[in-house]
Amino acid sequence: MSGPEERKVRSLSELSAAIEPPRDLWPEIEARLKSAAGAAAPPAARARVAQLRWLAAAAMVASVAVGVWIGRDLGPLGARVTAPPAATSLTGMSEGAAVDAAYVSDPRYRHERAQLLKSLQAQLDAMPEPARAKVTASLASIETAKKDLESALGKDPSNALLQELLINTYQDEMRVLTDVHEASDPGRGI
Amino acid sequence: MQAQAEDGPVDWEGALVQRAAAGDTRAFERLYREHSGRVYGLCLRLTRDAHLAEDCTQDTFINAWKALPNFQTRSSLSTWLHRIAVNVSLGKRRKASPVLEAPAEDGVELRGGWALETPVEVEELEGAIGALPDGARDALVLHALYGYSHGEAAQMLGIAEGTCKAQLHRARKLLRERLNMEVN
Repeated sequence: MSGPEERKVRSLSELSAAIEPPRDLWPEIEARLKSAAGAAAPPAARARVAQLRWLAAAAMVASVAVGVWIGRDLGPLGARVTAPPAATSLTGMSEGAAVDAAYVSDPRYRHERAQLLKSLQAQLDAMPEPARAKVTASLASIETAKKDLESALGKDPSNALLQELLINTYQDEMRVLTDVHEASDPGRGI
Repeated sequence: MQAQAEDGPVDWEGALVQRAAAGDTRAFERLYREHSGRVYGLCLRLTRDAHLAEDCTQDTFINAWKALPNFQTRSSLSTWLHRIAVNVSLGKRRKASPVLEAPAEDGVELRGGWALETPVEVEELEGAIGALPDGARDALVLHALYGYSHGEAAQMLGIAEGTCKAQLHRARKLLRERLNMEVN
């Protein structure tokens, strides 16, 4: 068969594969993506938020654990075993890493945190090794959570969940610093 | 035969995919603008229903958005989207009314698909394709219009390659008969 119908069959590949939709479908697609909000976010983004949430939770657990540990492990400071010279470096504590969240930029918070950080090294030096290790690990965990959350907020500054997690992490850090400070105060021991 | 979509690298597409996978809807919109015509064309030819094709196109892009982080940027985004579109279209076609599932050899036309300014010959050919039975039309559309190999088309349709070839042979035969009928 080589008539006009055969020519048409052969011309199939010349047909355009694309047919534009009769109307713009994007607004409805976008609305569906937004209506599902977090659920519609690509899994990579969801996984990242979930990972950060776990990181913040781990930091919180670490801060609670260190409070319990200090309470269990430390007696009055005067009766404590003399600690070896400071082997713990606090250079990892990022003084300037604070984001512009209202909580973090509050001058009273910043002043109190600075005071606690100033005395922290001496307090750690005076701690028994297991307690010092526990506090150091907890602060390192919190520092990691803070950095990751700040980095994520840099990419998505308006993310309310990330903001909340970051503030919680700063609060956890303050809790650890306060616990250490109070545990080291002979008049207030936990 | 290589898929038409794989002709020539598209440098910016990988970057858009990465941004979209990170949650950037503006980047995803640009991908939609780039690919919506071919995806809608595929959905329309598989479902033969303009409204259903719109639904399928939307679902294709919603599913793609969800699965984007799993997309390997080395492969063709176009081919990946077409696979999703075929899955969505076949699924919706199965769920659709029995009228759409019935063999369409005797003149079931595409509903609301073609503009008036479409050249008569193209409209005639599209009408003849639309009148083919589902299986034959699926194979013909993917192989002859979208340029996929027998193996690729068979994989997309979830059938054996031999079956795909047989469906294609059947489609061409039915197409010739129908066009011959119209010519005469």
